[in-house]
Amino acid sequence: MLSLALGTMITITSNHWVTAWAGLEINTLAIIPLISKSHHPRAIEAATKYFLTQATASALMLFSSMTNAWSSGQWDITQLTNPPSCLLLTAAIAIKLGLTPFHFWFPEVLQGSSLTTALLLSTAMKFPPTTILLLTSHSLNPTLLSTMAIMSIALGGWMGLNQTQTRKILAFSSISHLGWMTIIITYNPKLTLLTFYLYSLMTTSIFLSMNSTNTLKLSTLMTSWTKAPMLNTTLMLTLLSLAGLPPLTGFLPKWLIIQELTKQEMTTTATIISMLSLLGLFFYLRLTYCSTITLPPNSSNKMKQWSIKKPVNTLTPTL
Amino acid sequence: MALAATLLHNAYFCGRCCRHKALQPLLGPLLSDSLSKSYSSYRRPGSQPEKKTTWQNVDLSFKKSIEVLKTQLGMLKKETEDHLAGPEGQSLTHYMLEQTRVVWEFRSQEDLNKWVISSDVEIGGKSEVYLKLGRNNQTALLYGTLNTEVPRDGETKYSGYCSMRAKPLVGSFARKKYYDWSNFNSLYLRVRGDGRPWMVNIYTDPYFSHQKDDLYNYFMFTRGGPYWEEIKIPFSKFFLSSRGRVQDDQHPIWLDKISTVGFTIGDKVNGPFQLEIDFIGLLNDRAHTEEFAYETYEKNPPL
Repeated sequence: MLSLALGTMITITSNHWVTAWAGLEINTLAIIPLISKSHHPRAIEAATKYFLTQATASALMLFSSMTNAWSSGQWDITQLTNPPSCLLLTAAIAIKLGLTPFHFWFPEVLQGSSLTTALLLSTAMKFPPTTILLLTSHSLNPTLLSTMAIMSIALGGWMGLNQTQTRKILAFSSISHLGWMTIIITYNPKLTLLTFYLYSLMTTSIFLSMNSTNTLKLSTLMTSWTKAPMLNTTLMLTLLSLAGLPPLTGFLPKWLIIQELTKQEMTTTATIISMLSLLGLFFYLRLTYCSTITLPPNSSNKMKQWSIKKPVNTLTPTL
Repeated sequence: MALAATLLHNAYFCGRCCRHKALQPLLGPLLSDSLSKSYSSYRRPGSQPEKKTTWQNVDLSFKKSIEVLKTQLGMLKKETEDHLAGPEGQSLTHYMLEQTRVVWEFRSQEDLNKWVISSDVEIGGKSEVYLKLGRNNQTALLYGTLNTEVPRDGETKYSGYCSMRAKPLVGSFARKKYYDWSNFNSLYLRVRGDGRPWMVNIYTDPYFSHQKDDLYNYFMFTRGGPYWEEIKIPFSKFFLSSRGRVQDDQHPIWLDKISTVGFTIGDKVNGPFQLEIDFIGLLNDRAHTEEFAYETYEKNPPL
């Protein structure tokens, strides 16, 4: 855990490529034992997949920084001038974050890890690559980033439609939100940061709520109203917030991004992504439908859920 | 103890050979033949000699490829419609309310074609196994003779197993599909055996990873009588084994990515066996509260 914080700090505060890469590597290595902590075959498979993809991304990033250093003679992150390096870096960051078309590892890895580790993977592990993207956003190809972002929103919405495992649903929601973050990064990087912070806050509250009731699948979510009714209502509000419904907080980044895109004469893009996030809205609504609106005719027979593992954080979702 | 060890040792062979047999019709002769050829040309006593080489099997006709493309696109369209409908192709309310589901039943030859049988003939043994439809096309009958005579190739120590395994689900363009049984917690089998003990094996996803030999097993003890038995095996009772060896580090089976289910007999008794199966289903037993039957203590307690 400490290594994670260390790695993140190193990457965020670096302006030399090698330190950034070192921070990312520390993060990757630190989270591997967290993913495979339970030693279940699926957890180990998730850890292997995570390691392979992140190692590839790190290698690509190092390669791009080296070619940039070769051609321009300096290692400053903000001075990325060589076009092939920019392309390679975009690919590397996309793999690290889980943007389409490099998103395939993300749901599997999230499914194989425990809920708290999945939380870390969705929020903390996204922070260093996002900072690197922010630092280099002025030199990256905007068309490529926009294409990847639109595809991410589309795919995150489409694939999340009939998932029954909560972790996979949150993985696809993460991919979708990453798309929103990436689409505005070349025009107004501050909005990306805002989206990221709000997304982290909302996802943290959802993961922690799910962790306290140990809901790993949809059927467990449906019976959680008997265990902690207050938590259930706040969970519903948070889910709708993630979906981006006004007047909840999650609407703010979407509104500002659409406004910024319209200012940049990209109204078609803005329309497309709003339409595509309808798909995401559908499955969030379905989650809320399952958890709060309907009362299923059964009650779960899992003994574990009667124990609340930590005090319920009902305050965060109401933000 | 010895019985369990033998059963599991045979399960390893059966598992390994079954996999080739199960996936052969799906992936073509490309996979299995290349595996046998890349090591040596030694052929085990029981395996069939290859009549046609791999490259002779390729069919390059245009019309056939158009038909194949049409079938695959049809499957893709159906998959998209199922994706829109809800989990596993049914609506969400159906998913929320279902407590039982029949996964495999045996009413026609097509249902039988979803299963693959194998025995120790692959390693040179002499057991025989056959699968046919029972009376009135209502059941499947798995029958044969078990023969524990060890093949004389100098390295095999035990022999005598027969098994039946379901073929994995294949989606459009030969992609893997899995069963999602997370809504249920027991396996429900309606069988009529002959008193012999069988082993039920469940294979979950990982084909292309280090865990490709992982199998979850449990035993099914049949009565001999003329009456049908309804055997419920909760998933919490399945134990993890790899290549036939029971693992020390036990974990419960995760039901969200099930690939195949199989039955094996290998109880070291020479003689005929019969198993008649009506259907294989799933049940969400509300009265069953056990999460996992093994290793429930904490293995490394904090001091």
